[in-house]
Amino acid sequence: RQLREADEAAPVFQYAGRAARRKDRVFVWGFCHSGALGIPSFVRPDAGWKKPRRVQPTPYRLETEEKISSAACGYGFTLLSSTTTDITKVWGTGLNKDSQLGFQRTMGDRNRGYEYVLEPSPIALPLAKPQQTRVLQVSCGRAHSLILTDSEGVFSMGNNSYGQCGRKVIEDETYSESHVIHQLKEFDSRVVQVVCGQDHSLFRTKKGAVYACGWGADGQTGLGHYNITSVPTKLQGDIAGVNIVQVTSYGDCCLAVSDEGDLFGWGNSEYLQLASVTESTQVNIPRHLPFKIGKIKEAACGGTGNMVLTEEGNVFVWGYGILGKGPNLIETAVPEMIPPSLFGRSDFNPDIRVARIRCGLSQFAALTNRGELFVWGKNLRGCLGIGRMEDQYFPWRVTVPGEVVDVACGVDHMVSLVKSFT
Amino acid sequence: VTGPRFRRLKMGAGHRLDSKASGVMVLGIGHGNKLLTDLHNCHLSKVYTVGGLFGKATDDFSDTGKLVEKTTFDHITREKLERILAVIQGSNHKALLMHSNIDMKTQEAYEMAVKGLIRPMGKSPPIITVIRCLQFALPEFQLEIHCLHETQQYLRKIVHEIGLELKSSAVCTQVRRIRDGVFTLDDALLRTHWNLQSIQNAIWNCQLKVQTEIEKTLG
Repeated sequence: RQLREADEAAPVFQYAGRAARRKDRVFVWGFCHSGALGIPSFVRPDAGWKKPRRVQPTPYRLETEEKISSAACGYGFTLLSSTTTDITKVWGTGLNKDSQLGFQRTMGDRNRGYEYVLEPSPIALPLAKPQQTRVLQVSCGRAHSLILTDSEGVFSMGNNSYGQCGRKVIEDETYSESHVIHQLKEFDSRVVQVVCGQDHSLFRTKKGAVYACGWGADGQTGLGHYNITSVPTKLQGDIAGVNIVQVTSYGDCCLAVSDEGDLFGWGNSEYLQLASVTESTQVNIPRHLPFKIGKIKEAACGGTGNMVLTEEGNVFVWGYGILGKGPNLIETAVPEMIPPSLFGRSDFNPDIRVARIRCGLSQFAALTNRGELFVWGKNLRGCLGIGRMEDQYFPWRVTVPGEVVDVACGVDHMVSLVKSFT
Repeated sequence: VTGPRFRRLKMGAGHRLDSKASGVMVLGIGHGNKLLTDLHNCHLSKVYTVGGLFGKATDDFSDTGKLVEKTTFDHITREKLERILAVIQGSNHKALLMHSNIDMKTQEAYEMAVKGLIRPMGKSPPIITVIRCLQFALPEFQLEIHCLHETQQYLRKIVHEIGLELKSSAVCTQVRRIRDGVFTLDDALLRTHWNLQSIQNAIWNCQLKVQTEIEKTLG
């Protein structure tokens, strides 16, 4: 009885109230020596006992001031953006040798800019209405980046030697410490998605049309020729008149998904990405890929391998490289399904489905509807985030303390947007 | 069971069940002891129903221990609990693959992972293969846990950690093993049935199941 009385008399602690909301967090991992992860102490240690870290093999939390809604990883740099109406909406970190993060004024000399940015720093956009426009999406390529706003078109910065920023190529232009941010507004309707390939850019408009500009030697601009295009031009071929709902690209191959679930591809086909319709290694006009695997919901292009997600939640891969079906499957021209039991589906959990797919240069990532992140592919400088440095031949879970909402894959690093559990 | 005829029987016990838990416990008699070691080497999973209570934290994680802390729990919903359980299952699945000592780079490892047959065949820390919520009525809840190489205290610790993860605290009220490898609650004998006839019947019924399981796993 004494115990019970002591029980009742004990004070009650409250750790979380009834209206506690889940917080949004950002986790980064991969190669950090270029500053692409946004944590300065990895490159320049701020305490004496810390050593500079070259690789971060497991997810590490990145503290941000605002809620980040979209992230994109380029080749050694990262862009983070938020849908806020404050003046700073986009932050960039990492390599800035071609001004792909805009002009970052140095602290010492007001006329010079930083070549490496170690912390997410604001990017000043020349907006007409800075306190009303919202940034919807960002995308990064090899040395250029695109920012999509809701009412002021698309802004492009960075290297323009192939016209990938959508403006005329100027001979011998120096891209480092450049102030130029170009605004693109002339499309048939509002742009709803921007995608950066390695040296080209793709724009998808609300009416379902696709525009492209940039390097075209592999046909990745899909305009029927192999030259450079410096002004965004509409694509024809098999997608003329088709309502495209998603475009994707990361290397030199491009895929587009229509609203009826059909798949179209163009660009590089040296790794059998488009070998099901043509023998040539470069395809410069969009071609329909007649795969009989069901209605396609989402597609993702990597450097040498491609991946699609069907309406039933199955993942199909094809191309070359570590495709995710063990070390024996190196290349295939026809899509092969990855068994859903590798993503956690079993008799006890029959309703686990893959919800989103993303591709890095030689890595693949899949998000399930339970918020778990699976990665596989070449583990270049620890970019898979699994804690080991070896390549991963089948989908492997990444332990992130939270429910993963979105992931952006780059060449050697990844960024994930995560919601905490409670 | 006593009497002059039964003096020279050797008995062995399967996986232990500590004093506060209840449920199925496997005993082997005579030649059955050899089968017991074989069953142990099969490393089959055991299923427990674990009951828990939110709002209290004690030093030995069960409801009879000394009180350490009391917390509020009205912010906990079934959805949050299921999210935590999904993460526990995920990280334990990873531990399952890591401790099975198979080289991840081989084709056999991939094929076994697809079929779900990868299991640690040697010593390993406790691993949970399936965990799900059966009942949820604040402040009480009940979980079904399938696990390998565990102790009952580990299960109570899991309940405590679930409480911590949900920003509250929890104690374990009940641990009951409902399945140990091939033996389920239906095969088990209640205390009232501890007589020779029932024991003989039970051994007869289970012989076939044990034989097939051992052949399937140890080859």
